[in-house]
Amino acid sequence: MHIQIDEISKEFGSTAALTPVTLGIPSGALAALLGPSGSGKTTLLRILGGLEFPSSGRVLFDGQDATGLSVQERRAGFVFQSYALFRHMTVFENIAYGLRARPRVSRPADAEITRRVTKLLDLIQLPQIGTRYPSQLSGGQRQRVALARALAIEPRMLLLDEPFGALDARVRKELRQGLREIHDNTGLTTVFVTHDQEEAMELADLVVVMSMGRIEQVGRPADIRARPKTDFVREFISV
Amino acid sequence: MSDATLVDLQRRRAFRAPTNEAPWLRVLLTLGVVGVLALLLFAPLIVVFVDALAQGAGAALASLANPDAESAIWLTLTVTAIVLPLNAAFGIAAAWAITKFDFRGKAFLITLIDLPFSVSPVVAGLCLVLLFGSNSLIGGWLVASGYPIIFALPGIVLATLFVTFPFVARELIPVMIEQGRAEEEAALTLGAGGWRVFFTVTLPNIRWALLYGVLLCNARAMGEFGAVAVVSGKIRGQTATMPITIEMLYNEYLSVAAFSMAALLALLALVTLTLKTLLEWRYADQLAANHRH
Amino acid sequence: MSRALLHPSPMPGFGLAMGVTLTMLSLVVILPIGALLWKGAAFGPLEVWRVINTERSFAALFLSFRVALLAALFNLVFGCLLAWVLVRYRFPGRRLIDAAVDLPFALPTAVAGIALTALYAPNGAIGSLARELGMKIAYTETGILIALIFVGLPFVTRTVQPVIEEIEKEVEEASATLGATRAYTLRRVVVPMLAPAALTGFALALARSVGEYGSVIFIAGNIPLVTEIAPLLIVIRLEEFDYNGAAAIGIAMLFISFSMLLAINAVQIWSRRRIGYV
Ligand SMILES: Nc1ncnc2c1ncn2[C@@H]1O[C@H](COP(=O)(O)OP(=O)(O)OP(=O)(O)O)[C@@H](O)[C@H]1O
Ligand SMILES: [Mg+2]
Repeated sequence: MHIQIDEISKEFGSTAALTPVTLGIPSGALAALLGPSGSGKTTLLRILGGLEFPSSGRVLFDGQDATGLSVQERRAGFVFQSYALFRHMTVFENIAYGLRARPRVSRPADAEITRRVTKLLDLIQLPQIGTRYPSQLSGGQRQRVALARALAIEPRMLLLDEPFGALDARVRKELRQGLREIHDNTGLTTVFVTHDQEEAMELADLVVVMSMGRIEQVGRPADIRARPKTDFVREFISV
Repeated sequence: MSDATLVDLQRRRAFRAPTNEAPWLRVLLTLGVVGVLALLLFAPLIVVFVDALAQGAGAALASLANPDAESAIWLTLTVTAIVLPLNAAFGIAAAWAITKFDFRGKAFLITLIDLPFSVSPVVAGLCLVLLFGSNSLIGGWLVASGYPIIFALPGIVLATLFVTFPFVARELIPVMIEQGRAEEEAALTLGAGGWRVFFTVTLPNIRWALLYGVLLCNARAMGEFGAVAVVSGKIRGQTATMPITIEMLYNEYLSVAAFSMAALLALLALVTLTLKTLLEWRYADQLAANHRH
Repeated sequence: MSRALLHPSPMPGFGLAMGVTLTMLSLVVILPIGALLWKGAAFGPLEVWRVINTERSFAALFLSFRVALLAALFNLVFGCLLAWVLVRYRFPGRRLIDAAVDLPFALPTAVAGIALTALYAPNGAIGSLARELGMKIAYTETGILIALIFVGLPFVTRTVQPVIEEIEKEVEEASATLGATRAYTLRRVVVPMLAPAALTGFALALARSVGEYGSVIFIAGNIPLVTEIAPLLIVIRLEEFDYNGAAAIGIAMLFISFSMLLAINAVQIWSRRRIGYV
């Protein structure tokens, strides 16, 4: 699905988190929002997911105005930085949640839910952990469960806020590869937030460099590296 | 106004953060909750003062100056003055043993300390009567030697100790668990003795939690009714505490006198609540975690 | 943990602290409760049952338990709503109300008792309104219910409040991104997270209400078989010097208290096992 962000701004009281930004993310792309802390990455991602409403501007999905769509209607698979797993539910129930939450007419039968959850557990390569509770998982496992839970609703796009932020270096590398594979297999338009330029450059097709609520540069990793548009970008990617 | 901004405004009105309830539901819930509290908490409190002042402040004060009333106030203060230090000492000792050492049966000990919270005050009084009453073994002997416990001050003190038993320990234990043992251990390595460690390291760390516990203990001690009603014998001018006196006056239809004494205790409750809230605001980080709002 | 009775520790003062603790505990709590249990044992379980099983004792125990259960159920629901409103909503006077929730802990029960009676009696401010509507509150079971609701009001709120504060916003947002309506989120995510704390508060409120005396006797009317609560019957038996009768009812109430304590512990162990926190 093509995502178009059109002159979006966002103020929290008197602080401007986003000064008008415009950005197009082509269908099927894997895009990274890259920038230092406080640059507005999370705010932009939450606006895409319907968790925050822009002060002005529009969001278009496949050319259709989606600004007024509620979070439930957007069907965005959202992975939170803290994973936000339901700790009173087993891994299985966590992943099945979105399917069970559907209205009766569109809710799959129990057997179908089991089939889909099992498939997702295989996809994240953790087929054995369905009966465990989130408190019994490692950080990397939790991250993958959160991803599976987001995928279970057959989302129209995948939004991830610092998906590897809380993990150690080795696990990060592993999971990066996992995300790339899942993206390539599903073909979902995917946007992830990071402040690690190496991660953005290595993983993304499209890197969006942000600073202080503005978009500094958008481009393929190689282009950004070869031709940084501003001093800020040059500095930021050289560290 | 341009069309675009108009559309924006309409959209924004439709948007509600997904973690919020609908505005009408919020208003309804808030009003409902406040309404119930008004009927259940605020109205009785107001009634106490209104009924106390029904015949003017003079009548209310006069009823408190009556010798029986004065003796009741004096008795309640005496009991509290005995109970509070004992309870504080027990609470500190229990919290020290439980948080600074690891031993078997700790969970059971904590359950025993909490036990008085779930025992009816009347049953507590009954227990004391069975143990120390004049027709029990110990009680008979004590009465014969001239130290009666039931229908006398010691019984009232014991009953009050029973119902207030867990207050201080309950406040201190979570705080001391959270603070850990490192500071005390550091002081020990520097050569401080046990008492010195306690007074210079532990006590400063727990003083607000201790005060908090003592405050709650005080409110309950001055207001205890059921347990004291059973063991005191309700002898006017001798073993009638303030709450017992309220009951006697109320049953004699001396409404102003009953409510005047009640107002005195209600004032105490208000002071307690105020101090408690101030402690929670000011020293939230030094109180048990469940008092932090 | 190993099976050692006491782990070696560099900390001083174990003997003194434990000595004070056990001495006070024995003198104030264990010995008196032991005396009641001893009395029951000497009296014999059959005799105890015979006393409890008389119409009046049974009616009193059943009344105390039934109305306390109703009051605790009310407080369970109301306490959760109140905690939710206090934590999540902002409105003028919120801090005052938050502080006032503890009033039942601070206000002596006898004071609460006469105040509630004055208010809800047929000639009281609210009671007279109720009378116009053809209802009687004070001197009926409804009056007892109101007193017990008052007494148990803070428990659920105070146990649930910190849990609501700790629910991460993201968890509710995650539920919404997965397509759940607000009602579904509340039902399947929020309520289960509050359940252990709410049940603990419920059990505490119930334990307190079953044994409550001071705030009830003024408003109850105290008619045998109708509005006579169990603690009052104990007091009456003691005034008649019927120690065996009083002890039998006391043991029944102690039994209820112990069951409640066990229930609280079971809830906490269950939730810790399942979710890894209390
Ligand atoms: N709910 C909010 N209320 C007030 N200000 C906010 C809120 N959310 C974000 N902000 C402000 O908006 C700005 C952008 O925040 P945002 O969270 O989008 O940054 P970020 O790029 O994700 O940073 P980080 O890398 O630290 O997560 C910051 O100045 C932040 O303080
Ligand atoms: Mg962020």
